[in-house]
Amino acid sequence: MRSLPPNVIKEVNQFMTFKLKKKERNSIINPIFTCQPAGAQYASIGMDECIGIVHGGQGCVMFVRLLFAQHFKDNFLLASSSLHEDSAVMGGMHRVEQAVDVLLMRYPEVKVVPIISTCSTEIIGDDIDGVARKLNNGLLKEKYAEREVHLIPIHTPSFKGSMIYGYDTAVKDFITYFAELGEPNGKINLITGWVNPGDVTALKHLLKEMDVDATVIFEIETFDSPLMPDGEAVSHGSTTIEDLKSTANAMGTIALNRYEGGQAARYLEKKFEVPAVIGPTPIGIRNTDTFLENVRRMTGKPIPQSLVRERGIAIDALTDLVHMFFADKKVAIYGNPDLVIGLAEFCLDLEMKPVLLMIGDENLEYLKDQRIKDLQEKVEDIDIIQNADFWVLENKIKNEEIELDLIMGHSKGRFISIDYDIPMLRVGFPVYDRAGYYRHPVMGYSGATWLAEEMANVLFTDMEYKKNKEWILNVW
Amino acid sequence: MPHHLFKCSECIPERKKHAVIKGEGEDLTSCLPLGYLNTIPGTISERGCAFCGAKHVIGTPMKDVIHLCHGPVGCTYDTWQTKRYLSDNDNFQFKYTFATDMKEKDIVFGAEKLLRQSIMEAFEAFPEIKRMSIYQTCASALIGDDINAVVKDIMAEMPEVDIFVCNSPGFAGPSQSGGHHVINIAWVNQKVGTYEPEIKSDYVINYVGEYNIQGDQEVMLDYFQRMGIQVLSTFTGNGSYDDLRGMHRAHLNVLECARSAEYICNELRVRYGTPRMDIDGFGFKPLSESLLKVGYFFGLEEKAQKVIDEEVARWKPELDWYARRLKGVKVCLWPGGSKLWHWANVIHEEMGVEVVSVYTKFGHQGDMEKGIARCGEGALAIDDPNELEGIEAIKKLKPDVIFTGVRPGEVAKKMRVQYLNAHAYHNGPYKGFEGWVRFARDIYNAVYSPIHQLSGLDISKDEISADKGFMTRQMISDVKIDTEEAALSEERPYTGDYDCVTKLRGKEYPLLEKSPSAN
Repeated sequence: MRSLPPNVIKEVNQFMTFKLKKKERNSIINPIFTCQPAGAQYASIGMDECIGIVHGGQGCVMFVRLLFAQHFKDNFLLASSSLHEDSAVMGGMHRVEQAVDVLLMRYPEVKVVPIISTCSTEIIGDDIDGVARKLNNGLLKEKYAEREVHLIPIHTPSFKGSMIYGYDTAVKDFITYFAELGEPNGKINLITGWVNPGDVTALKHLLKEMDVDATVIFEIETFDSPLMPDGEAVSHGSTTIEDLKSTANAMGTIALNRYEGGQAARYLEKKFEVPAVIGPTPIGIRNTDTFLENVRRMTGKPIPQSLVRERGIAIDALTDLVHMFFADKKVAIYGNPDLVIGLAEFCLDLEMKPVLLMIGDENLEYLKDQRIKDLQEKVEDIDIIQNADFWVLENKIKNEEIELDLIMGHSKGRFISIDYDIPMLRVGFPVYDRAGYYRHPVMGYSGATWLAEEMANVLFTDMEYKKNKEWILNVW
Repeated sequence: MPHHLFKCSECIPERKKHAVIKGEGEDLTSCLPLGYLNTIPGTISERGCAFCGAKHVIGTPMKDVIHLCHGPVGCTYDTWQTKRYLSDNDNFQFKYTFATDMKEKDIVFGAEKLLRQSIMEAFEAFPEIKRMSIYQTCASALIGDDINAVVKDIMAEMPEVDIFVCNSPGFAGPSQSGGHHVINIAWVNQKVGTYEPEIKSDYVINYVGEYNIQGDQEVMLDYFQRMGIQVLSTFTGNGSYDDLRGMHRAHLNVLECARSAEYICNELRVRYGTPRMDIDGFGFKPLSESLLKVGYFFGLEEKAQKVIDEEVARWKPELDWYARRLKGVKVCLWPGGSKLWHWANVIHEEMGVEVVSVYTKFGHQGDMEKGIARCGEGALAIDDPNELEGIEAIKKLKPDVIFTGVRPGEVAKKMRVQYLNAHAYHNGPYKGFEGWVRFARDIYNAVYSPIHQLSGLDISKDEISADKGFMTRQMISDVKIDTEEAALSEERPYTGDYDCVTKLRGKEYPLLEKSPSAN
């Protein structure tokens, strides 16, 4: 098992300037996050010609694949080493060896095989780095000598961090494995974080307008795949080995989400001197402005008129809504840390009152996050809770500690909205109880528009359902 | 031997014995695939783990219970909100899920203290719930936490609570089936006989192996209660913890899903002498026979017949409307375990569809035996299927519709094959007479979907018929039937409600009473 390098911990101590609340219980009632291997699996499906093997019990893969299928209404490929009782007792390295062989034999197009550990295989101490070395020196040389195969061990013990840290770790491990010094490629690296295909589309659009060429990590627009007459389409990410290799030769890296790709950006900066800009998450107008400014500074390309106009369209849409419908509306937001922070910041610009922010895990890094510090110190009546679960939210509602006009978060919290009659906008991952949300962006100007209009529509529907000044919508 | 080796599995020849094609004149002695063996790693098998078999399939449908997993959070998160087992207490068991959230320090130093704390916190959060079920996971099993000891102490301190422990870590067996077995035996060992239930009828059954998917259990309960039978407990869908502790008082165990719950019936027979009767809630004929069988056991066959007559009169014309239009539709019956034999023959007999393949993810050879026996010649049977074999089978067999899970269903979708959810159903319940019509309706709606028809059109090269603004399902389905004959019949499409279950709750059953002389 790896832990944070000592210098990072020192940094934390140095900057630890504020406290962040945690939930008061030790156990979890209704979790906001799942565990690390799910994050590594989400990263794996973003890579072309890649099928991950999760070294653990079959449920660690089967349910994560189900989760992806729930969210995208599509199937994604991931394999299991199928750890059974004998391996749990005697060690399961041979299961990984066999899994790699079987996978390579049956999927001739596969070149990249991340080997993702779990709680069970970390506890029994299976050495996935060792098994990768053994396979590299043995099986791959002997049986697959003609074939390009990359085995990438990814340590994601489920009892550390969360799905967020698992994703962050996997992105870093992929890049560490592939990044290779070469000629400058004139591109920027855009590490998106755990986002939806709709976000990638929106981000690529912004970069295209800026005339900037970018390596998008991971290129997951193709998660939204068609149903074709020949029945041959599949959903899979399309980031290539070449893409990852050339990350070392970019003019800079922008990691949009600090906790979902930040490690990789820092690695590229340290190892290959690729300048890294980490954050902000381009949710809302202001953060999108900053993102474009970062791109401008990094590439020297000016922000074009087309984006001024696009921004204007978004501002126009928001102006219709903000002071009329959003002002002073109290909102609770939960989910991935960068998403929660970005949404909270946007809500403040929309004149709303984010009263409760909940992040599903605990991370020392949060304590040196200026955004969190600012929210905590500069916003009145805001409660920010790390290591939160849904019971924190439900309890506060039940005990009338807070009154909410809107909840924003992923589908696992749906019953709070339903049972307490609070309108909710589904956002984040997973969203399985609304149709097609993965197709829409929350990032960029188009994301800002979509978010605000959906918030409004959710509020409007609720007004009608509860007959709460529904007549106001006759004219506005 | 009719074993079938998939092209995609030629490199793993041991797979050959896991698939068979039932040939002409062949019987089970020559065409039974291997079953319930360890999975070949890296095949992208459809199987889950023994933890989910215990907790997710059997444990959590119990409705008035705090379900707590002792392990890292993923096992809890992953088995939360991924099924459709309802309960009449506003779905407490699927709304709330509990985890000890084991972290690195707990792995190193042991997590029994954390477990104790978590139990207390859960009871504190829900003071009205006094029952708990705790599930071991890979992590808590490997570090050797003694869950039973912690629970024993707590139950001694808090006499008002009762806690069940299920030690079925994910790695304990080739598939979820290992967990089914463990939890069955654990329940009978720990809990049966520890509670005296109220007996309200002379005719008392446990309804076993029934998980109330979309309300299945409530539909079947309605029939039993109309016959004057008390359903003492249901193992476990919509089932109550204390009722299940009183299972020993029933006169008969009526068993539905034998794959997941025959173990407890067998144990109850050995320990308490309660007979086991296997029944089938799917399909008009099997269901009628099942109700009659239960009726004969108690001497209630006339009452059973009355229920059957009423239901058949109400729903048969609707089933027949669909059956007329589903004749010859090719089906892959690819469920998890026992539905392959529950459905194999009856969907052919009553809806006229052709079952071209059966598979089972976690079934044993016994399930295959029954499934293959109920299939026609030429059917392809696969044990522990994997992704590529499924795709190869679809290409070879070209089914019209597949009954399977969400994820394989999405694979089928991309291959332009419609799918119905065999585990959680599309618009169920599918049990009961009305449920069976709903199943037929769902198949019909899938197969004759105008959008499905459009999905095959390649606008770059196929002819586009510009004269149609729309198609209805019936415009597609009725080209192959004798419409004059159909018009003369009393058949009609489904007329039931969107929700046919909620209205059953709180219904009165006057027949349900105990004679004064009975004990």
